[in-house]
Amino acid sequence: MCTTISFAEPEIVLGHGRRVLFVNPNDLQIFKEIELPPDLGLKGHASQSQESCPAAASTATATSAGQAPGGKEQQLAKQPEEGGTSDSATASGLGCATSTSVQNVAYSPDGQLLAVTTSGAQKALLLYRSRPENARLLSTRPLSRASSALRFCSDSSSVLVTDKTGDCYQYDCVEVEAPPRLLLGHLSVVYDILWSEDQQHIITCDRDDKIRVTNYPATFDIHSYCLGHREFVSGLALLTEQHIASASGDKTLRVWNYIQGKELLQHELPAPAVRLLVRQLEPEKVFQAAVLFYEHVDALGLYRVERSSDDTWSVTATQLVCAEAGSWSISNFTLTSDRIYITGAENERLSLRVYDIATGQPASSGVPEGWLKMVLDGMGANEEGAPPFIPEDLSVWFKKRFDNVSDYLERKKRRIEEQQQQKCG
Amino acid sequence: MVATGGQAQDQSQNQEPDVLNPTSAVTGLPQKRYYRQRAHSNPIADHSFDYPARPEDVDWRSMYPSIQQGQQVSFADVGCGYGGFLVTLGEMFPEKLSIGMEIRVKVSDYVVDRIAALRRRCADTGAYQNIACLRTNAMKYLPNYFSKGQLEKMFFLYPDPHFKRAKHKWRIINQALLSEYAYVLRKGGLVYTMTDVEDLHKWIVTHMEEHPLYERLTEEEANADPITPKLYQSSEEGAKVVRNKGDHFLAIFRRL
Repeated sequence: MCTTISFAEPEIVLGHGRRVLFVNPNDLQIFKEIELPPDLGLKGHASQSQESCPAAASTATATSAGQAPGGKEQQLAKQPEEGGTSDSATASGLGCATSTSVQNVAYSPDGQLLAVTTSGAQKALLLYRSRPENARLLSTRPLSRASSALRFCSDSSSVLVTDKTGDCYQYDCVEVEAPPRLLLGHLSVVYDILWSEDQQHIITCDRDDKIRVTNYPATFDIHSYCLGHREFVSGLALLTEQHIASASGDKTLRVWNYIQGKELLQHELPAPAVRLLVRQLEPEKVFQAAVLFYEHVDALGLYRVERSSDDTWSVTATQLVCAEAGSWSISNFTLTSDRIYITGAENERLSLRVYDIATGQPASSGVPEGWLKMVLDGMGANEEGAPPFIPEDLSVWFKKRFDNVSDYLERKKRRIEEQQQQKCG
Repeated sequence: MVATGGQAQDQSQNQEPDVLNPTSAVTGLPQKRYYRQRAHSNPIADHSFDYPARPEDVDWRSMYPSIQQGQQVSFADVGCGYGGFLVTLGEMFPEKLSIGMEIRVKVSDYVVDRIAALRRRCADTGAYQNIACLRTNAMKYLPNYFSKGQLEKMFFLYPDPHFKRAKHKWRIINQALLSEYAYVLRKGGLVYTMTDVEDLHKWIVTHMEEHPLYERLTEEEANADPITPKLYQSSEEGAKVVRNKGDHFLAIFRRL
């Protein structure tokens, strides 16, 4: 099980278990939510869209901002709504339904489409139209393996899905039932994938320290590599038409001219990086890179990355955010301009904490306890019989470097010495 | 083994009276029996490899002592085994730098020792300074060693067929890897493939013909290449196939 959280203005999008929640970043009011159909219908029958509309649910939840009631989809819920809370809708869910969960969620750049991948018993890519209607399910297509990364192209016409064997598939989002095309493959898990703005290149990074730049649509033709990392590369972000940022388990944050495959900046991090998020502060010039650390006293590092000339980049400010690391098990995070939202597990229960960027302290104003609890309830965190939430153990990302050479060379050396002694003796 | 004029034989045929000596007193060459290792190796596992982050970080001079300024490796024998073919390549193309890549510890060590012994014996002529062996996983780390369009020739001779279906992704020729090989090969570069397993040959031909960046050489073109006859005999595997009267399946491709 995992959590996915991202900021797609004006919503924070949270995915966990069987639900995706869309939440107001200021006070965590739930705009709307999507629940995975109990049966994704992958064997061919039509899948049923099931959506809990806040208006139909408990009166305590907020109405969705800007989404008119008129566009709501008919509820095809099999379960009766008891008291109108979304909790009860899943409490009576089918047995098999609980082992499928949300893996990745991505909004298309034009905001019209939402892609959701699932893992567990049923692995699929669900495509929803999110505006103007409230999350209408357009199609469900099977995935052969759970996704590791998900990214729309800049014109929202297709989405790329990568998996743990390193394969990268393209799913058409105009022909929403079209089967996927296998575009390229790495030999190890691909942790992140980007499109260049002009869609001429696809950039992928993997566990074997590599960042690869492949031509598109001629994806059999590799354009360049950005080489230099010494451990898995966990995140990529587009900075400009020619530049990307990357973060790695080798404790570095780097900036590259990916067209040339040239490293332009290498910045030391206090710990291995397992997630990277970049926000643009000034187009082409100033960016905020946020890095989630692996097992460190501080959970996050925020770095101001500035470009002073064509290929000259530097980190001009650093802020470490403790976020009570160590006292809970952090799984994911996202940022807005003034706040950090972190998900994790506390006593094996999903937890969400909000921090002010300016102070690095828990957000003081505007996050009523009630709303936070509602969100967690909405995610099914506090349900009876909810499975324990244990964030993925990332230690397996690191390569097990065992030395099978030194032993052999030692034995060989001894063997030669013994033989020489025997000759002399 | 190949015996071209002046070339010493590999010692595995002549039994040494002193059977414990790993190096033959006659030829000074290492004896294979001390370097035996099983044929199959898992290319996906995290072996212990010391690999460079980038081609610029490689100390080529430590492998090729007489390397010229700006000179680069041109030929790569992927899965070079005990080095028989690599030695032949070095002799056929003294001006070019050839490299053997082998994943197995003992086997690559054998080749390293073999090259060192050959160089010692030919110290006055400086022969064999143009071949070297790397212990590495070619499926994962080619771009770490070679820059874009660097190689002129790549050889895949008697690759492990990984017979069981579940292991097909371990085969050294597959669609994803062909793109990586195309990256390190220059336009017009050649890929030589040879196997005695017909199924594997068909697999290789299908995948390479499907890949937009390769075209197969015609039989005439393949036979006109002076390397072709060497492919049958030079490698230890090839010689074994000849001894056992097996079939050879050859396919040469041009990188477009």
